[in-house]
Amino acid sequence: MARKMLIDGELEKPNEEKTQYDFDLFVIGAGSGGVRASRFSAQYGAKVGICELPFHPISTEVIGGVGGTCVIRGCVPKKILVYGASFGSELEDARGYGWELNERIDFNWKKLLLKKTEEIVRLNGIYKRMLANAGVKLFEGEGKVVGPNEVEVNQLDGTKISYSAKHILIATGSRAQRPAIPGQELAITSDEALSLEELPKRAVILGGGYIAVEFASIWRGMGASVDLCFRKELPLRGFDDEMRAVVARNLEGRGVNMHPRTTLTELVKTEDGIKVRTDHGEELLADVVLFATGRTPNTKRLNLEAVGIELDKNGAVKVDEYSRTNIPSIWAIGDVTDRMNLTPVALMEGTCFAKTVFGEQPSKPDYSHVPCAVFCIPPLSVVGLSEEQAIDQANGDVLVFTSTFNPMKNTISGRQEKTVMKLVVDGETDKVLGASMCGPDAAEIIQGIAVALKCGATKAQFDSTVGIHPSAAEEFVTMRSVSRRIAAGKPKNNL
Amino acid sequence: CVLRGCVPKKLLVYASKYSHEFEESCGFGWKYAAEPEHDWSTLIANKNAEIQRLTGIYKSTLKNAGVELIEGRGKIVDPHTVDVDGKLYSAKNILISVGGRPFIPDIPGSEYVVDSDAALDLPSKPKKIAIVGGGYIAVEFAGIFNGLQSDVHVFIRQKKVLRGFDEEIRDFVGEQMLLRGIEIHTEQSPQAIIKSSDGSLSLKTNKGTIDGFSHIMFATGRKPNTKNLGLESVGVKLKENGAIEVDEYSQTSVPSIWAVGDVTDRINLTPVALMEGGALAKTLFANKPTKPEYRAVPSAVFSQPPIGQVGLTEEQAIKEYGDVDVYTANFRPLKATLSGLPDRIFMKLIACAKTDKVLGLHICGEDSPEIIQGFAVAVKAGLTKADFDATVGIHPTAAEELVTMRTPTRKLRRTPSEGKTDSEFKAAAGV
Repeated sequence: MARKMLIDGELEKPNEEKTQYDFDLFVIGAGSGGVRASRFSAQYGAKVGICELPFHPISTEVIGGVGGTCVIRGCVPKKILVYGASFGSELEDARGYGWELNERIDFNWKKLLLKKTEEIVRLNGIYKRMLANAGVKLFEGEGKVVGPNEVEVNQLDGTKISYSAKHILIATGSRAQRPAIPGQELAITSDEALSLEELPKRAVILGGGYIAVEFASIWRGMGASVDLCFRKELPLRGFDDEMRAVVARNLEGRGVNMHPRTTLTELVKTEDGIKVRTDHGEELLADVVLFATGRTPNTKRLNLEAVGIELDKNGAVKVDEYSRTNIPSIWAIGDVTDRMNLTPVALMEGTCFAKTVFGEQPSKPDYSHVPCAVFCIPPLSVVGLSEEQAIDQANGDVLVFTSTFNPMKNTISGRQEKTVMKLVVDGETDKVLGASMCGPDAAEIIQGIAVALKCGATKAQFDSTVGIHPSAAEEFVTMRSVSRRIAAGKPKNNL
Repeated sequence: CVLRGCVPKKLLVYASKYSHEFEESCGFGWKYAAEPEHDWSTLIANKNAEIQRLTGIYKSTLKNAGVELIEGRGKIVDPHTVDVDGKLYSAKNILISVGGRPFIPDIPGSEYVVDSDAALDLPSKPKKIAIVGGGYIAVEFAGIFNGLQSDVHVFIRQKKVLRGFDEEIRDFVGEQMLLRGIEIHTEQSPQAIIKSSDGSLSLKTNKGTIDGFSHIMFATGRKPNTKNLGLESVGVKLKENGAIEVDEYSQTSVPSIWAVGDVTDRINLTPVALMEGGALAKTLFANKPTKPEYRAVPSAVFSQPPIGQVGLTEEQAIKEYGDVDVYTANFRPLKATLSGLPDRIFMKLIACAKTDKVLGLHICGEDSPEIIQGFAVAVKAGLTKADFDATVGIHPTAAEELVTMRTPTRKLRRTPSEGKTDSEFKAAAGV
């Protein structure tokens, strides 16, 4: 093991301010959080080094890539596949508008995958350039924490190099977990799902979260038969119950076979495909079985325990409000801290970290009113409190305004799929506590709503805004009648 | 709105967008054995069925509210009397909301010209169409006919389309229209339409004559429908263009007569007419005098790509506020990187340098109208750029760009002045 010499060769003196480090900041993990933190820290004048595993669309414990989950095997490729799948129903709808199309329109999965791969490779290159342009030094290899101010990078040729750093930032993200079901090796996770050789004809998906629901929509949109198995009564636990029901109804309407209150007990390889057994005794046959049962923080190989960094029971790095671990020189952001696992939140955490540590402006990431979206077809997007959360948290009555309608486009295409939009309002203050929508363009619509909500906009302010016509979004500013009023102190149900 | 405006327009826009979507889908793996073809008559028939259905709904809405609907042409006889096809009705208050109609200049051959009403109901799709006009109606129809595979030529008096809109938006949408194959003939004024023996039409302008059009459409403005309503004799004051003059409460010069909507030519948008109507009802019958509020009214143009805007243009902001920071983004959306099409999105945020208030937002690209609505709530509420920046983005979307614009593209500052009328600006380098 080679040890890089300290530039000054000085003896290390405890509490000595003048200690020379190789870097002011060393970041382990070049995903959304790591890249943001590196660049912004460098902009504040810090000398920054970052290490990342070699690139491949499918991750392992030792394979990753600059750009991280979002760019390589998350948000971006997912959205590309959703676009690809959405065309299927769009083409059907075109007929009502007078378009004459063949009965069958061919879909070439391999072509889409190729273009997807081209795009993520292009973005991977862009991220590398961004780091270079910011003056951040990028090392390829697996990083481990060796001491409060020391990181060891295991390079591709097997050699290990140590770097000293005033601050260390852990931003290694998370990976899909696989439940311990007999035959689990026959199943895939989202990594593989985004890089399949062939489009499955029959897919079985285990999971009820956004990843499961999105893949159900993607494969169904491309013509596959899809069975979605989830533990609860409805998918998307944690979201507003009314909206969960809308998503479920839409999935069903689009032909996804829904299996609520179901889990899988066994997978067996057969000639006809993978035989899947559920806990209801049902048997399904699949070409592909997708486990979308959650993601766990990537902390196993970082050597954190040896350094004394505290983890929670899921293996996530514990941090304070400034993203600092229990070791003062070591910090962590992004999915590895398991706070809110969204790219824009990792970006926020990275920005605040850089400001705090190098920008002389201690900044805490603000987790209130963070909007998000589930890109099922049609999509769901929410910001603020769900109806259940509002009832739980509000002091006074909660007013619920909903608008349910068949969007204009569907009136001609003949598609029966209602859009649902909802505002949850505090009866006492008139503040809009939460907004949600399930329908075409939901995510694009909710972004602006989120700005208003974050700043405490009232229903009256919403109502005083003139609508844009014709649009779906205008419904948010024209909800005049209360759908229901829940008096303060009412108990809630758990679905 | 329902019969020959917003609704049928939007349906035709939906229909015409598909040709672009077919092209886009190829980059995503979809393959067509044959080029999709469009049948105009199917579209118009379905469109007409839908607007019939909506008419029925409007009638029911009136009925359910207990409003008596009388079919016929209304005319004012005196401050409290209306004549409908010969029958007289007396009223404590009279509201005039007769809207506007397309205006076509009286030039030789104007009888061969179609307006937007007729364009929405043509018996067959135009093969080659000249659209005279540069406003939103002209631009929307250009997109519609272009998307339905007609050969489209737009003739405008100015150098760019959409006068009154933010200059950069005008540039951007013009470019995008050209990329989609629409030909824009600038600085041309129509002088005559000539019909040839084979039935095709020629358009003569100050710059020359172009032949071979199957249709010529004029989208050269709309005028209030105030002719022959008895207004002059009852003393209701009109403006030069025929619009009814009203005060902030929509009251005319005759105390018992009121007017709302396009006939008053304030902001000619359906949601504004709705606002004016709602305010009037409150004023007259809820004992709550209410003035419609015209600040920060968002609007959209359903061009292809569409535009969404709220607040001031850059030019207006500079005039009113002096020191402004302008943030712009011009990018290729994720969809386009795969489709390979030259689609782009342009976004602009204008902030007051002194107070950080967001003065205006202008975007042009897919989904712009849907995106702008939520932001309009923020702009109306007087929120700042810092408020925008504190909002976490939704990823991946186009809209998130509006909350992640970090560096001003230009900072405009009024030079330290000699006089109040002196308004010289210099653009300082961005941070």
